[in-house]
Amino acid sequence: MKRYTLLFSALAAPSAVHATVFMSPEQAQAVMFPGEVLRPDPRQLSDDQVSAIRKASGESPLHRDLKVWRASSGGWFIVDEVVGKHEFITLALALDATGAVKSVEILDYREAYGSQVRDPRWRAQFAGKRAGQSLQLGHEVKNISGATLSSKHVTDGVRRLLATYAIVLAHNS
Amino acid sequence: MRSSLPTTVDLVTRCRPLLGTFVEITTPDGHGEAVNAAFDMIAHIHARMSFHEPASDLAAIRNALPGERIAVDQETVEVLRTALALHEATNGLFDIAVGRKLVRRGFLPRGDIGPLRQFDGTAADITIEDDKHVSLKRRMLVDLGGIAKGYAVDRAVEVIARQGVPFGLVNAGGDLRAFGPIEWNIGLRDADDLVRSSITIRHCAMASSANLGNRRRLRGSQHTPHIGRNGQPVLAEQRTTVMAEWCVIADAMTKVAMVDPDLADTILSEFKGHILRETLSLGTA
Repeated sequence: MKRYTLLFSALAAPSAVHATVFMSPEQAQAVMFPGEVLRPDPRQLSDDQVSAIRKASGESPLHRDLKVWRASSGGWFIVDEVVGKHEFITLALALDATGAVKSVEILDYREAYGSQVRDPRWRAQFAGKRAGQSLQLGHEVKNISGATLSSKHVTDGVRRLLATYAIVLAHNS
Repeated sequence: MRSSLPTTVDLVTRCRPLLGTFVEITTPDGHGEAVNAAFDMIAHIHARMSFHEPASDLAAIRNALPGERIAVDQETVEVLRTALALHEATNGLFDIAVGRKLVRRGFLPRGDIGPLRQFDGTAADITIEDDKHVSLKRRMLVDLGGIAKGYAVDRAVEVIARQGVPFGLVNAGGDLRAFGPIEWNIGLRDADDLVRSSITIRHCAMASSANLGNRRRLRGSQHTPHIGRNGQPVLAEQRTTVMAEWCVIADAMTKVAMVDPDLADTILSEFKGHILRETLSLGTA
C-alpha cells in the first residue's frame, strides 16, 4: 500500500490530504466481509490441479501458492495476481459459501500507467517517491484519462479463480 | 479564516472491474458505505446496459418487435433520453443504434443475434413511452458503449455526494468526474499509450477517446469502434479529450468531437464544456 501526501489550497478544504492508493488485503477483507472473522487457509496447487484449472478456464495459474482465507460465514477470500497489458494486477475475490462471486476489488493496479512506464519523463515523477513522502498536488499524476482500458485480463483471472475454487476449494473445505 | 495548523485527510482509492474497464473511486477515508453504494449503482448500470448480457435491457430491446412495449430500467430510460437528444443535436452523428455496424465489423460479439439486416433502425426510431418503457419503430442493435460509462460516473458521483462525502473522484477507465473543492491532476494518455501531458481539474467531468490501438482490417479497409457520417470509420491519429459539467456529456461528445469538432464545441457550450486543446507538458509543472 502506497501512501503519500497531497498539498493543496482551496477554500473550506483541508490543507493536506494523505492518499492511500487502493486497499491492503486486510482492508479488503473488512470491506468485502464486514463483521466477519477470516482465518488464513493457504493452499499449494499440485501439477494435476494446475492442468485441471488450465483446462477448465483456459488460463494458467501464475503461482502455485494460493492465498486463501475462509470467512466465518463459510465464504472465501482469495488474493491473486493477473497479468495486465503491461503489469501485474493484484485482485481480491470474495466468494460466498456456495462459491458465487460476492465482489471483486483491485488491490494494486499499475496498468493505469500503461506503457507510459517506458517513458522516462513519466518514470521520473515517481523516482525516489516512497511511502509517507510528500507529493505536491499538481505534480502528482495518478488519475489518467485516455482511450478506455479493457479489464478483460481481470475477467479472465476471475474465471480462472472460479475454476480454482471448483477444483481445489469446493470439495476440500 | 486561516489556520496555521494544517488539517489532514486520508484519501482512499478503491477499484473494481466494471463496465468492461477499471472503475476507481477516490474519497476521503471513512466513507466505505457511500463508496459501496456507488459501486452498487455502477454494477446495476453495467448489468442493465451491457451489450453482452442476455438479461440486459439492451438484449430486451434487440429482441423486441416494432411497436412492442419494452420494459426497461429507469436508468436505461435516462441514458436513452440523453442519447436521443444528442442524436438530434448532432443530426444523427451520435447514434446508439450503432450496434449492427460494430457487430459486422467485429467490435461486438455476434452471439445468437441472427441476421443483421433486420436491425436497420436508428436512434430516431426509439420512442420513450414513460420512465420505464420504450418502443421501437424499427428494430435495431443498441450499443451504449459511447455513453453508459459517463452516465455511470455521474450516478456514482451523485450517490457519493448525497451521502455527505465532501469531495471525490470517480474514474471509469478514463471517463471521470471530480466533485468538491479540491483540485485533481489528471494525466492524459495519448493515442499511442504514452502520457505526455496533464491537466488540473476541479468539480467537473472529462472523457477521452482514441482508437489508434483498436483497429481491425476488414475486406481491405481499416475499421475502428468509432463510426462517423455515412457509416465511415473514424481513423483518429490523436486522442480527443472533452471537458463538461457532466460525464455523460463528456463521454458521448468525445465521439462527436473526433468527427466534427466545431459541432461538438457548439453543443458543449450548452453544458459548460469544451474540447480540450491546451494541456500542461509533464515535467514543466
